[in-house]
Amino acid sequence: MRRTGAFILNRIGIIVWCLFASASLCRAEKPSQSKGLPSLADAKEVGHSKSAILASGSRKEGPASAGAPSANLAEFKKHVAPVLTKTCVACHGPEKAKGKFRIDTLDPDLMQGGDVDWWLEVLDVLSNGEMPPEDADVELADADLRKVIEWLGPEIQKAASVPSSEGSHSSFRRMARYEYSYALQDLLGLPYSLADRLPPETASEDGFKNSSEMLQMSAMQFESYREIGLKALKHATVRGERSQMVVYRLPLQEETLSVINNENIGEVHPLNLKAKKGEKAKKEVSLDKGNHSVKLNLSNHLPDEGIMRVTVRAGRSTMNADEYASLRLIFSAHTSNNANFSQVISARDLPVTASADKPQFIHFDIPLSEIQRNPFRNNEEKFPRRDEFLTIQYSSSTRNKEPLGVLVDFIEISAPFYEQWPPKTHRDIFIESENKSDEQVYGREVLSQFMERAWRRPITSKEVDPFMALFVEYRPDFTNLEEAMLEVLATVLATPEFLYLAQQIPANHSKNSNTLSEVELASRLSFFLWSSIPDKELLEIARKGKLSDATVLASQVKRMLADSRSNRFSQNFVQQWLGMDGLESVTHVNDSSLKEAMEEEPIAFFKEVLNRNSSVMDFIHSDYAVVNERLASHYKIRDVYGPHFRQVRIKPETNRGGILTGAAILTMNSDGEDSNPLQRGVWMLERILHDPPPPPPPNVPEVDLTDPKILQMTLKERIADHRNKPACISCHAKIDPWGIAFENYDALGVYRTKIKNEPVDATSALFNKQELAGMDGLKRYLLAERQDQFSRAMVHKMTAYALGRPLSFSDRAEIDSLALQFRKKGDRLGDLIQMIIHSSIFNSK
Amino acid sequence: MMNNKAESLNRRKFLRGTGVALALPWFETFAANESRRDPAPKRFVSIYHPDGVGLPVKADPAWKDWSWFPRGGEKDFELTKVLDVLEPLRREITIYSGLSHPAARTVHGHSNADQYLTGAATGGHGSYKNSVSLDQVYAAHAGEFTRHSSLVMSTNGGVGGPRGAQTQSYNREGRPIPALNNPKQIFDMLFVTSGKDAAAKLARSKSALDLLIGNTRSFGRRLSKHDQETLQQYLDAVRDTEVKLEKARKWIDTPVPKVDTRHLTLEADPKEARLYFKTMYELIYLSFLSDSTRVATFQLGRENGGGQHNLLSQAVGLGNAHALTHAVKKPKGWENLGTYNRYQAEEFGRFVQKLKDTSEPSGQGNLLDNTFAMHGSASSSFHLSRNYPIISAGGKNLGFKNGRYLKFGEGNEDNQAGAGIVTDRGWQGKVEAEELPLSRLFVTVLQRLGVEAESFGGITGTLARV
Repeated sequence: MRRTGAFILNRIGIIVWCLFASASLCRAEKPSQSKGLPSLADAKEVGHSKSAILASGSRKEGPASAGAPSANLAEFKKHVAPVLTKTCVACHGPEKAKGKFRIDTLDPDLMQGGDVDWWLEVLDVLSNGEMPPEDADVELADADLRKVIEWLGPEIQKAASVPSSEGSHSSFRRMARYEYSYALQDLLGLPYSLADRLPPETASEDGFKNSSEMLQMSAMQFESYREIGLKALKHATVRGERSQMVVYRLPLQEETLSVINNENIGEVHPLNLKAKKGEKAKKEVSLDKGNHSVKLNLSNHLPDEGIMRVTVRAGRSTMNADEYASLRLIFSAHTSNNANFSQVISARDLPVTASADKPQFIHFDIPLSEIQRNPFRNNEEKFPRRDEFLTIQYSSSTRNKEPLGVLVDFIEISAPFYEQWPPKTHRDIFIESENKSDEQVYGREVLSQFMERAWRRPITSKEVDPFMALFVEYRPDFTNLEEAMLEVLATVLATPEFLYLAQQIPANHSKNSNTLSEVELASRLSFFLWSSIPDKELLEIARKGKLSDATVLASQVKRMLADSRSNRFSQNFVQQWLGMDGLESVTHVNDSSLKEAMEEEPIAFFKEVLNRNSSVMDFIHSDYAVVNERLASHYKIRDVYGPHFRQVRIKPETNRGGILTGAAILTMNSDGEDSNPLQRGVWMLERILHDPPPPPPPNVPEVDLTDPKILQMTLKERIADHRNKPACISCHAKIDPWGIAFENYDALGVYRTKIKNEPVDATSALFNKQELAGMDGLKRYLLAERQDQFSRAMVHKMTAYALGRPLSFSDRAEIDSLALQFRKKGDRLGDLIQMIIHSSIFNSK
Repeated sequence: MMNNKAESLNRRKFLRGTGVALALPWFETFAANESRRDPAPKRFVSIYHPDGVGLPVKADPAWKDWSWFPRGGEKDFELTKVLDVLEPLRREITIYSGLSHPAARTVHGHSNADQYLTGAATGGHGSYKNSVSLDQVYAAHAGEFTRHSSLVMSTNGGVGGPRGAQTQSYNREGRPIPALNNPKQIFDMLFVTSGKDAAAKLARSKSALDLLIGNTRSFGRRLSKHDQETLQQYLDAVRDTEVKLEKARKWIDTPVPKVDTRHLTLEADPKEARLYFKTMYELIYLSFLSDSTRVATFQLGRENGGGQHNLLSQAVGLGNAHALTHAVKKPKGWENLGTYNRYQAEEFGRFVQKLKDTSEPSGQGNLLDNTFAMHGSASSSFHLSRNYPIISAGGKNLGFKNGRYLKFGEGNEDNQAGAGIVTDRGWQGKVEAEELPLSRLFVTVLQRLGVEAESFGGITGTLARV
């Protein structure tokens, strides 16, 4: 299950740094039960001042000892073993071995022995003040603790510096499904995904789907790449003469107004807006609360493929700033009596911002071959019905006396729609050339420029040769060059040079052979920040050898983060970091707009922190929320209007701020009826503290819900009852308290003070007896005592994502130095990204 | 599936005649694959008929003769007039009651042909998603032994639409597999295919794969040892694809089985329903006998009628098949619907009999002994998505014991729940009877076909007593 390499690193946490700070300082503070609790802002400051990482930064590195490091066994024997014997062996020795752990049998040689993992665990529990437990008969004096840590810390450091091929991971990997989808879109200029048929990825232990170890390849996968590649190429190119466009227009327009920019119009069909009996047919549609959509019968004239452009001229009936309106498209057909289907076909709702007297044009472009069509449309028989329907649906947040409506006075639907002929996507592949008449020369030109973009590096003529040979072989099977060439280009899209992110050994083995080449750096950078291939500019800079220049690199990172493609970074990193897939599998969110808003919130919050280059401590707590209208109403935050997310100041009474209280997190860690403290606790440990609990043992006794005694218990009591079973206690004591602190939030993340008329009890005690008084207490504790752990977790997670591989023991020194830099500069998210990109770990193979 | 190419032969002349005789020994051409084949192939076929069956209430005079379900116990069951045509095959069949797919029980019967073999929550309106069908799970397992991994047929052909399926088969992504409905096209695909286009396509693929292997090798040379090992997975994937390709090419090179088709009427059209049904069943029979495939589905008509479907009941001199279900309260209504269902059972019986009468080429019993054949619908009474009327036949060598009427569930021993309804209130109404998930029968079937399966369509476990 859990791999040792990553496990080790988890364990290291911040703790090694404790060595350099005063031992008692880095022990978790014992609960302060005093009434005058510090505010969360104060806690943040206090916590910062206590950072062991920062304390370590001011210490000078000792001179590196020459030669292979050897274990300091003398010190262990003299000072450490007696302390451990005195303090630990009673419970973790031959007599008891609590938690199936014996300290007396650990090999004190960390260089040669096999117990490094266990020693890391020892360091961990000592530093966090989790051992010895409060109720133990023994105590560990500060002086003794210091002895252990002053020996153990350096030993671990030395062990980590022993070069070991074991447990180190390579960044060589294929693209993840979502990266492949974006890469294909960016390469071919297609505005939609064709990669849905690829199987979903498995997440790594850190939660990442771009992790080298998880990205497997199979024959089935490979065949899918070939099929999708060819399909995408066919979508990007056109064949034969331009086909005539079918156009639908809303009739009774006073003006004959075509927004279609060409003369290639074939049939024009009227769109009927039926008037009620006795009324004149209307020439405009008014969409409002009472009449929120207009359904248009397109009969069966639409072509099978190509883009359908829907143009709507629309304006708002009122212009109140607190109201918003938007439009979406729905496509439907009847497949039987009593059976039909309908599907939202617009990628997202488009806002109507203009006023009715100065209406705006709104365009939707829909790929007809990619939506569910009426399969009976070309039948000769009239039943099943052959017609297809397009619905233009309005949604708004109208709240004023005079309701906000949308007036539509013009609708035009055209297909297949091309901005120009042949379309740009076609001309990007079949480039203009004076050699067009010479297939040998032109074929090579087409291939070379396509391969260079797909392989995202300069290519040699020798590399083109086999593909050119394939073209020559295929050519007689096809009537024209284009068709034969598409098959060859599909083969280019099935090469490992396209599908994989590789770090190659340079042809001339220079001494810097472990450093990424410039073009490799460009790819790593673009897959980090855009989840896709580099663009022309980035590749050009890399090709010129300028990307390794720190200033150039920094400005490229800035440019890339400003580009809209960086939204993919925010989305994918956040979704994977926080494990947002969990929201997909819950069934108790019935309001789809709420669910969408929940999903978006952590991403929007992350973008906010990123754009402002704020401290990642904002993820723990912030005095603002990032919400849209739907979510704000869920959180009872007033005066937030519209579907877009924005920063809003909040008061402590709102009980929000940071991501821990985000509805998505709370909802996905619930079981449909109620909160699930256990799941929330595990989530906290895995995602925020980067200290995942071990997997549950087999044969865990089920909670017996037929037992009347258990049925009467509250959820918290039930958990306590379960926890007290001997098989469960050791793990649950570590997990449950974190989750119980979330109890003031119900299964949809709504704040509550009562559960079934009983006051909520969200107070819990950590294993080290630290009391967490609800969410506020949890946040206060994290800010005051666990800043190092969280900031280090952020460094770890972000680096693992950036590299696309799990981190291991051998990456420890790099992570340490990044963590120090990061903390020194104030834990700022934007800085972190720059730091990682400029780090030697990011620039190494 | 491969494209068929019309042959220049005068097929009509060639095909007419009497009697079946395979121009043996066609299976010798499979000698190359002999070692890979099981001694006796295990086969699966599912026939689907829309619109359900007649289910009058007990008080109705028609109940005695025209209620679809048998009466009596497991062994001593008594068939009504609807199924009495199967009496001679009594010991070869099993009739089930009390089974249905839970996810679709509250969905209108018109939408449910889609989920009969999948058990997916396909719903009644809005967005749509299906999942893999039973036959395709088995085809993924057994498909590699035969030229065609499965044979997917329906009278109306194609895929139909969401909630208006015209195919019974869905791939592992839940996408419909187009059904063939033209006997000549099916025959050509099975026994005539020239494969010229297919061969050219395979040759191109082969060249592409060769290129990729060569290219990948030189690419790999510049990777670290560790990364080369990772890249090996890619190379393996390409090689596996090559092996598949090679297999496909072998099938192209292997002459198609020669069958004497003098008795077949490949021009048969659903208008001549009897002839058409007979021909379609015959094609399944021939594809099994020649081991061209081991998996077949066949959908008769489509829910809610339309297209070819409405012609089928002309075989028994009745009008629009779907309308029969609506007209049960008219004079002779139950009898008419029963007569049409009887006719469906009769054709199925003829097919089963033929499998029984043909010895397995490998010598292990007859074809029926190694075939699990099922026949059913996703509704019983009028649009009611419960108590699916299912008959299975054969499968003795797979472990099925026939000659039984197996009642499952509780509270509906005499199949009266939802009986006699003729309005949509019926399927929307509350049904008290408890039923078991049909997917549990599917798990049993898969296991006996040799597929390691614990669950199907989200339902875990097998069906006892089967």
